[in-house]
Amino acid sequence: MPPAVKANLGYTPPDGGWGWAVVFGAFISIGFSYAFPKSLTIYFKEIQKYFTVSYSEIAWVSSIMLAAMYAGGKLSSILVNRYGSRPVVIMGGLMVGVSMVAASFGTTIMHLYLLVGVIGGFGLSFNLQPSLTIIGKYFQVKRPMANGLAMAGSPVFLFTLAPLNQFLFDNFGWRGAFMILGAIVMNCCVAGALMRPVKMKTVQKDPDAATNGTTTEKAGATEGIANLEAGGLLSDTEPKQKKGGCADKCLDLSLFKHRGFIIYLIGNVVMFFGFFAPVVFLAPYAKGIGIDNYQAAFLLSIFALVDMFARPGTGLIANTKWIRPRIQYFFSISVAYNGVCHLLCPFLAVHLGYAGLVIYAVFFGLAFGMVCALLFEVLMDLVGAERFSSAVGLVTIIECGPVLLGPPVAGFLVDVFDDYKYMYWACGIMMLSPGIFLFIMNYFNYKRLDQEERQRQSGTTGLGSVTRSIMEERGAGEERTISKDLEMFDEEGQ
Amino acid sequence: MFSPWISSLKLILIPLFWRGIYTTENPLLALNDPVTTVFRSAVLKGDNLVEKVEILKPINLELACTCDGNPNKLPNVTGFWRKDGIEIANSRLTVLLENEQYNLKKVFSIHGDSLGNYSCVFNGADKESKFDFYLTAPEMGNMKEKPIVAYVGDSVVMACKIKLPPKTWIWYKENGTEQELINSTTDPLRYKIFVDRNTTKLTVTNLTEVDSGVYICSAIYNIKTSVSHLEVRVISFMEPLKPFIAIVAEVIILVFLILLYERWGSQKSSSSPTGNMMHVDQMHKLTQDDNGIDESSTRKRKI
Repeated sequence: MPPAVKANLGYTPPDGGWGWAVVFGAFISIGFSYAFPKSLTIYFKEIQKYFTVSYSEIAWVSSIMLAAMYAGGKLSSILVNRYGSRPVVIMGGLMVGVSMVAASFGTTIMHLYLLVGVIGGFGLSFNLQPSLTIIGKYFQVKRPMANGLAMAGSPVFLFTLAPLNQFLFDNFGWRGAFMILGAIVMNCCVAGALMRPVKMKTVQKDPDAATNGTTTEKAGATEGIANLEAGGLLSDTEPKQKKGGCADKCLDLSLFKHRGFIIYLIGNVVMFFGFFAPVVFLAPYAKGIGIDNYQAAFLLSIFALVDMFARPGTGLIANTKWIRPRIQYFFSISVAYNGVCHLLCPFLAVHLGYAGLVIYAVFFGLAFGMVCALLFEVLMDLVGAERFSSAVGLVTIIECGPVLLGPPVAGFLVDVFDDYKYMYWACGIMMLSPGIFLFIMNYFNYKRLDQEERQRQSGTTGLGSVTRSIMEERGAGEERTISKDLEMFDEEGQ
Repeated sequence: MFSPWISSLKLILIPLFWRGIYTTENPLLALNDPVTTVFRSAVLKGDNLVEKVEILKPINLELACTCDGNPNKLPNVTGFWRKDGIEIANSRLTVLLENEQYNLKKVFSIHGDSLGNYSCVFNGADKESKFDFYLTAPEMGNMKEKPIVAYVGDSVVMACKIKLPPKTWIWYKENGTEQELINSTTDPLRYKIFVDRNTTKLTVTNLTEVDSGVYICSAIYNIKTSVSHLEVRVISFMEPLKPFIAIVAEVIILVFLILLYERWGSQKSSSSPTGNMMHVDQMHKLTQDDNGIDESSTRKRKI
């Protein structure tokens, strides 16, 4: 298994400076990626009347867009590895913009499926992955904070896009609104322009590492960048191993042998079944128990507002020296906390009515924000910044299923039982069990990693395998390990 | 105003025609025999002191109220009826306490002009309790106040929906103070009307600016007609084009500025080279891989 020297990128990430401009760019990109499909639902009623289709047919537009966004993950991570974040994001922005403008001239619902759904969705995926990846390149020490800030883009944009869309619709109808939205989305290109490729300083201790690294430049493989630095530092033979077939490089199935990655994947797949449905059904649930439209919409605003602040807040907390080494626990606790919120929701709604739902919206907003802020940070923590690109591509493709199936299955539960509470209980269980699973499994994972660390320190095994496994799996105290590794190589590597 | 000792009121309806009444609480039972009278009662909780009854045809309707005996248990109270707040003449009765309850009922002849707010009032020991029945024709709710925006050359679909199917639907276009009827003979190429029990749709194709204005859909019931207004605004494609071009221009300018700043910044620091720093080329060059092995002190980094 190729090594991923997560802690040792071979250069010191800036952790600031232009990095914050990059975070702002990522904020915009991520904001559009997540908020755009959701905010389009405002137009559905009118488009449904215009094309004379049923609600489920029009809802497909949103579903296809989300599906394409997740499915495009792998493709965009390949492109990012090859060309870097900037061109991919700019291209993504152009794709979405042009497709929206073209859709404004559409004459059938199929046009919307293809243009807004497929092309728009892929364009958004070309925004999402590179943004996440580039944060890992620019930040090490302050990475959870940067992640939290960037992920805050989603609620902020949802908050602003919703009334903006309503305004556009009232003044220009759906066609004009699509055209103007296409222009607005092109601001992703501005975000892409901000994503300047990082200037790196070579590591002082190994000046000759550079020569080894450049041979792997051409590979454009998922490990290619890792080897650039990793190969030089660990051993001279590493780079040559990378030139495998394209299937190996493109898919990086070796990630499936990564213990932490598998734990993450299993936990997340189950979690995503119950992740989005409660948001989707919050307003209908409120209306169902007799709350009027405006107050129900206000619930969502409260939710988004709390979410907005919870994300950077969580990033800040996750960055502290107490939490960072054991960030996986923090993540699993947030997931479980989500589950608990959902389980309590029906009780709050029945006994306290609107006030109960407001309380639920606040706590759920907090929970949702916590999970979203940490979602990609823990993946980075597990697999390292170099393999993150491929990992996130794999993860989004696999998560495609639960994300898309979740709300319809939840809707089905609501239809069958004619009551929202069973759906909330089901979602609660769907979140609580992965939370507990992640907590327990990560306990074992940390134990194993500590064991390996101790073994390594006692010097019982050679440089190669143990170091590799620690480098690739250990999430704790990256700052420590950076300097530690350098010392170690001093002693043993030569 | 509402005395606490009314804890339940009963509504009994006796339709003398086979169709005609819905209450907001219970859907109408299917009635087959036109001559049969149907008794239906609804027991209403004490807090619900208003009942909305939607009526489709002229009928004779009996409204009945029951209230539980008050703590004082007066042997009799005065009961009377009001319509729209005004007491109905000769409706005052003395109501006796039977089985701990006071009952009051009256038959009303309901037709188009006599719809309104009927109340039964119990007056005893200077305390008044009443219950309101709102008798109306079905109404279309939730119609948009904002105009529908459509484009020249495009088409627009207007829809009206109501809870209970009317006898028929009719569309009009408001022309100044008059209403112009739209039906299948009025320009069949452009106007299409679709009717499906309790919904109707009007599709106007090949729009021009003249088509802007207010359209009226009316649901015709035997007792009354319910109307709803829809406004359409027809605009040309030039209108959204202006903000579109403005925003695209803003995007291009910002991208240009950012890349310019970067190039200026890299030119500045390239005049003070450090052995270990590598300045990455502009965006288009990122797509080229560098095969050259020896840039020994520098490395190209692809993000």
